[in-house]
Amino acid sequence: MAKKILSRRSFLKSAAISAIGIVAAGCQAKVVEKVVKETVIKEVEKVVKETVVVAGTPEVVEKVVKEVVEKEKIVEVAKVSTRQAPMLQEMVKAGELPPLEARLPLEPLVVEPVESVGKYGGTWYRGWRGIKDFHCYGRLVYEPMLRWPRDPADPVQPGLAKSWEWSDGGKALTLHLRKGLKWSDGAPFTVDDIIFWWEAIEIDENISPAPHTEWVVAGEPMKLERVDDTTITLKFAAPNGLAETVGLAFHGNQWPLGFERFGFFAPRHYLEQFHPKYNTGATYELFEEKAFDYNTERPSMMPWVITTWETGADHMLATRNPYYWKVDVEGNQLPYIDEVYFYLVEDNPAINILAIAGKIDMQNRGIEFAQITVYQENAEAGGYHLYLWSRAEASSPTFFPNQSYPDPKYRALMQDLKFRQALSLAIDRDLINEICYLGQAIPRSITVVRDSALFQPDIEDYYAQYDPDAGKTLLDEVGLPVGADGMRTFADGSPLELIVETQASGAELDGIELVAENWRALGLEVTVKTMIRDLYWPRACGNEVMIGTWGTDRGLVPMIDPIYQFPFDERSWMAPSFGIWYKTMGKDGEEPMPELKELMDLYDEYRVTADPDDQLDIAKKIVRLSTERLNVIETVGMMPSLTVVKNNFHNVQEHHTSDWLIMTPGTMDPCHFWME
Amino acid sequence: MLAYVLRRFVVIIPTLIVVSVVTFAIIQLPPGDFFTTLQAEVAETGGGQDKEVIKKLQEVYGLDKPVYVQYLKWVAGFPRLDFGYSLEWSAPVWDVIVSKLAYTVFLGGLSLLFMVVVSIPIGIYSATHQYSVGDHLLSMVGFFGLCLPGFLLALVWMFLGIIILRIDVGGTMSREMVNAPWSMAKLLDYLNHLWPAVVVLGLASTAQLQRITRSNLLDVLGQQHITTARAKGLKERKVISKYAMRMAINPLISVMALEIPKIVGASTLVGIVMMLPTLGPIFLRALRSQDMYLAGTILLFTTLILMLSNLLADIALAWADPRIVYT
Repeated sequence: MAKKILSRRSFLKSAAISAIGIVAAGCQAKVVEKVVKETVIKEVEKVVKETVVVAGTPEVVEKVVKEVVEKEKIVEVAKVSTRQAPMLQEMVKAGELPPLEARLPLEPLVVEPVESVGKYGGTWYRGWRGIKDFHCYGRLVYEPMLRWPRDPADPVQPGLAKSWEWSDGGKALTLHLRKGLKWSDGAPFTVDDIIFWWEAIEIDENISPAPHTEWVVAGEPMKLERVDDTTITLKFAAPNGLAETVGLAFHGNQWPLGFERFGFFAPRHYLEQFHPKYNTGATYELFEEKAFDYNTERPSMMPWVITTWETGADHMLATRNPYYWKVDVEGNQLPYIDEVYFYLVEDNPAINILAIAGKIDMQNRGIEFAQITVYQENAEAGGYHLYLWSRAEASSPTFFPNQSYPDPKYRALMQDLKFRQALSLAIDRDLINEICYLGQAIPRSITVVRDSALFQPDIEDYYAQYDPDAGKTLLDEVGLPVGADGMRTFADGSPLELIVETQASGAELDGIELVAENWRALGLEVTVKTMIRDLYWPRACGNEVMIGTWGTDRGLVPMIDPIYQFPFDERSWMAPSFGIWYKTMGKDGEEPMPELKELMDLYDEYRVTADPDDQLDIAKKIVRLSTERLNVIETVGMMPSLTVVKNNFHNVQEHHTSDWLIMTPGTMDPCHFWME
Repeated sequence: MLAYVLRRFVVIIPTLIVVSVVTFAIIQLPPGDFFTTLQAEVAETGGGQDKEVIKKLQEVYGLDKPVYVQYLKWVAGFPRLDFGYSLEWSAPVWDVIVSKLAYTVFLGGLSLLFMVVVSIPIGIYSATHQYSVGDHLLSMVGFFGLCLPGFLLALVWMFLGIIILRIDVGGTMSREMVNAPWSMAKLLDYLNHLWPAVVVLGLASTAQLQRITRSNLLDVLGQQHITTARAKGLKERKVISKYAMRMAINPLISVMALEIPKIVGASTLVGIVMMLPTLGPIFLRALRSQDMYLAGTILLFTTLILMLSNLLADIALAWADPRIVYT
């Protein structure tokens, strides 16, 4: 009996709630275009409680009498838009979410499909190497102020900002945000979120040691001027040539983008309460924790927000953002895919096992090209196909003869252009291509890839021909005589030994060994030292390595971080000491010779050139000079980057140059990927 | 007996202190720290942090302090069950390891059970049917298990499952089941992912235990009291179970105690290969990323498990054999 009462009560409760829901939906009808009046006839079970006092006992018994009443009620029912995911339609019907029209901005960003308009639904499975592999998620949710274009030849595209204009000769940049943008919790997104990032994060020394260089022009940090809720002007002391690309397209995300610690905005309404400046009870540690991307409570502007992530979990789940601000060409709100599931695995082999087994729907990150035959054999059974993207790696392995090496004799040698030319001519690039990359890479020496706007075909294979005899002649000209044992020495007869240090393994290490063999054929004594990355990195940055190695990535938009073009900072292993000099504006490090200074001056000019065409000319000149001076010695590059795509997964580009600087696959708008 | 157990417990504490110092020192041996490793790792995949940012983070998390200060900071929290903060997981170490620790103990326990249930009957059979076809066959299988390391078996199983059988292997359940409510199907799926792990972990030690049972039993079976028992007409089953096995079991218990560390050790690699939520994968991850408090705590708990299992073995010995006297 007791159970029955309960069930009827709960029935009544739910009936009441749904009635309230319908009324609530009716109340929101103002914002809905179409309101249909419906007559609803409802049969409601009416429960009447009668208190009966049973004679003879002091007990009071509740007796339930059932009555059926007919009720007529007229309610306004909002027609729920079908241009949103079914799960959101349900939520709108239930009154848990405002209707679509109230959630989308006035001018949503319209995503042009790669292939087709999609269908809603599905879970996208991916392999993920854990917290530090943040990019596995972070690049699917590339939502910056301005976007890198899908075609690298195009200029920067609108993002959260729908338009922008320069004024005052490149010293002021006005951004117009889309009106009506909302965070994933429904709070409005305004320029205050940008101002908050600047004041509470970027210039707060407790969080950022210094503002990022693109916002410090001529030694002065930029100034923000709030025009209205959706308009803001950034003012610089001199023209800013890095704002659009580095500042807004590359760094323009929600702070901190995993461990990268850059961004351009942050949810003020949520984070203010955790920041010591605004709340004296808060600490910076707490702020970092709450602002971090893995905090599931943190509002974001991304298509999928992390909803399930706890310490020690074996997977992470990101679910659709009901307030996402992009639509497809038919006006359907994106994303199509309901959720993204990240398997937590230990290493790349585990990702490859999952992918080969057909358990990954679409992934490029961690998929190993070396396993291509296994992938091909299992493609049919696994229900996937493969795309061979091209890596934005100008070359790998690339050699960095250290022009600021402490030992003066070796330094002079490394600085000698003829010596570097000889090293380059001695390399049998075709052999490296065949042995290390199954012939799928391209022998080359230019410091950018073909898809880059800075590419210049006439210098693609500059000094990249295999000509050891010419190399020997050049070494003779440099003044390195051949001794009795057939090995070359310094002009004064002292022994000469080139030491190559590397953290490489696998194909890259094979390539390095092949090059060492080529150099030995010139009569040079070469030793290759391999070590773990943790040892190599600080040694290379500390100017301790004579010839370093690494892959020259960043080959698509190299001016974002031109470390392989000239000594830019300590990561430019062609001369770390000169790089530090440039980075600290002459305070530390050593002053370079004029050839390198010329490149530095050009980049300084690039930084203060706001006009895109002028900038392109300068950038091309930098690439040309860096290639012709052979500051880095390149081998083969643009190797394929294997991408696994399930056969029911759509809108993935077949041809693409993948690069982390453009957040691959972020530029193809993962929010419009869809699954059958 | 009770006094003995208590004494043994007390001895664990100084051992743990020594172990904590040693592990912490070992973890500090490689150059750099969590943040420099992070920087190099991020750089390798294309990113890169500024030197100044690293310095800032090191200050915030106290990594710029001398090693002994960092050690004392870690140890001071122990009484409160606070084992420090895992930088990689951005969470207290205890929260990171507790579920993994439980799963490791659970899996290890099942493997131990598997080992006993499989190896002792086989061992008895081999001993009582010495040099028979069955003995040779089982010994062969045993040697096979003995010489194949667990992770290789795990790899073979993964290969079989993925490429040949095309079934879901690895992890604790299929991806469809992870978020499903508990049901019979989910339980079955769970068990189907559990038994291969148990078998893989248990098999290596099974072979050893089986050989030891066999040789011990053979020793005992040749003794005079067994001959006497048989001469008096006792049933063979009773002779084996009541007289021979009881004498042969002591070395078995000692060996089992020695097998526990092996299982814990093997669970690291097997856990990584089969994507199981044991301590192994996070331990390896912590070592690689120099997440020192996490790595140190896991080492500490592994040591604790070993010491406790030794203690349990000693107690079990005393319980099984009244001739053993503790003072």
